[in-house]
Amino acid sequence: MMKMKKLLCIALAAIMVLALAACGSTTQPSENGDPSSAPASDPAASAEPSENAEVEAQYVVGICQQMTHDALDQATQGFKDALNEILGEGVVKFEEGNAGGEQNNCTTIIDGFVSEGVDLILANATWPLQAAASATADIPILGTSVTDYATALNIDNWTGTVGGNISGTSDLAPLDQQAAMIQELFPDATNVGLLYCSGEPNSVYQIETITGYLEEMGYTCTPYAFTDVNDLSSVTQMACDNSDVIYIPTDNTAAGNTETIANIVLAAGVPVVAGESGICSGCGVATLSISYYDIGYTTGEMAAQILQGEADISTMPIQSAPNVTKMYNATNCETLGITIPEGYEAIA
Amino acid sequence: MEFLQSLVNSLPGVLGQGLIWGLMAMGVYITYRVLDIADLTVDGTLGFGGAVCVLLTVNGVNVWLATLIAMLAGMLAGLVTGLFHTKCGIPAILAGILTQLALYSVNLRVMGWGTSAGTQATLAVSVDKYDLILSSRYVRDWSENLINNPIVVMIPVTAVVVAILWWYFKTESGSALRATGANRQMARAQGINTSTATVIGLMISNGLVGLAGGLLAQYQGSSSVDMGRGAIVIGLAAVIIGEVLLRGHGKVLVGLLGCTLGSIVYYFVIQIVLRLGLGTNDLKLFTALIVALFLAVPYWKGKAATARKRSVNSKEEKNNARA
Repeated sequence: MMKMKKLLCIALAAIMVLALAACGSTTQPSENGDPSSAPASDPAASAEPSENAEVEAQYVVGICQQMTHDALDQATQGFKDALNEILGEGVVKFEEGNAGGEQNNCTTIIDGFVSEGVDLILANATWPLQAAASATADIPILGTSVTDYATALNIDNWTGTVGGNISGTSDLAPLDQQAAMIQELFPDATNVGLLYCSGEPNSVYQIETITGYLEEMGYTCTPYAFTDVNDLSSVTQMACDNSDVIYIPTDNTAAGNTETIANIVLAAGVPVVAGESGICSGCGVATLSISYYDIGYTTGEMAAQILQGEADISTMPIQSAPNVTKMYNATNCETLGITIPEGYEAIA
Repeated sequence: MEFLQSLVNSLPGVLGQGLIWGLMAMGVYITYRVLDIADLTVDGTLGFGGAVCVLLTVNGVNVWLATLIAMLAGMLAGLVTGLFHTKCGIPAILAGILTQLALYSVNLRVMGWGTSAGTQATLAVSVDKYDLILSSRYVRDWSENLINNPIVVMIPVTAVVVAILWWYFKTESGSALRATGANRQMARAQGINTSTATVIGLMISNGLVGLAGGLLAQYQGSSSVDMGRGAIVIGLAAVIIGEVLLRGHGKVLVGLLGCTLGSIVYYFVIQIVLRLGLGTNDLKLFTALIVALFLAVPYWKGKAATARKRSVNSKEEKNNARA
């Protein structure tokens, strides 16, 4: 009887190992040249590392990405492209981990990087940044796709520089310019509804900040917070009933459910100004857009300086996107009868 | 070889996370195995414990006291589920889901305490600014900050928790709890108030999960509203893996130690999976398969045993008939 149990245990262990081995062999080839995860890259860049495998890697960079998401994927790609262009192909070896939207996995992935002693960590979004900040005070950490570092790291008296071993880039389009855009497009409106998910710290921060700018301009602002996708439609309906214009920040939950929002706001005839182009193309009329590839690229430039010893991370301020673009959604503008002034690009 | 080397290097992190989740798994063990009900409150309780602990710590409360209060907060959540179940007649699984749902809003409010918005989805607590009990920062530190090393901290904490629970399950109240889980009708016939026992069990269970949440938040440097998402699966996986490895079905002490062992093994497997570069989109599928496998093995073992017994019996019958 005991023998039987032992045999089963061994068999079980063997099955697990086999299963793991199978996973390893199937995923490794796709890692080298998988263009589907890199929408913004040119195919040549992602195919090259396998050819240049003989180049000795001088630096190891760990990349921890919070989840698979178009914007985050682009930021990672921009980061890698920048490092490959500045330092040369194959000079930097990238260790990539994707947490699949679970905070625990961020801790596990980051711990793996620390145990390997990587030269630099790219924390793509808020949870990886928090996990990395907790795990190491020595390895340089660059964040990207993080909106507000003061909130994410609980810093009082924010000066624009984190200090220590942390710096990075923010994905925020300047909120004062966004408020100015609302004024430019809707000068006659009085009530602005602010629609966001209360579970996202970045959204809460943006709502608080833009409220200040909008109220200075004489608008009345009302926040409409939903807790998750299940109460999104009823909260959106309430916002439509009481607002002339709705503003949505760079909210991940909203970004994932633009159709739900569009069905309500377009029917109610209320225009939506959005914090990023993804939300705008789904349910908005206009947005001030940044490119995640750009901020990833900027982060890669910072990384190159740090790796080569040209810059001290403790004095590097948080950078934001180099370019912003005013964009509009032609279909929705037509539906709502809104004329867009000069200087706006249509969202393709 | 390089792979094995890096795997060995990552062992401290595995131990750190595994020991903390071991406490959480003990909470799951108490409801799932001892009390024989599936309690889904824990997904919310883990975040609740984390939120309470971090909020108190950043507001200047002693970190040990904050962690203790996180445990009490967890017990409160367990009490709510228990009252939903016993006083309102809501089935246990639904009562747990209701509390878990409510805790999402509560956690937002707890972390947003004192901010102008009143809600906040994540609250950071930096080991540089506060004197935390444990932090992933020191998990590889074997010389200077030995006392701060999470593994060094968690081993005595785990031992104390296991000792207290072991003692408790031998007391009258603990025995009543076990009897309630074993056979509700029989326990009632013996004069045990099964409702009280259920509520106490849920409170102890969620207290442990709250404690684990508080420790986990310190370990990872922040609490967040989504922290507990899928926690029940990790807890269950740890319980089941521990049972299969230690084969201690029914013995409380072995079961509790199995929780810790199981969660360490669980994180070890996850670390291997991540190391192999498996797409994390498939990670949840993989986790589910591992848990299903560990759940199925004892069942298959049972089937094989009965089949063998039957064949032995039938042989004996034949022999008897011949005689």
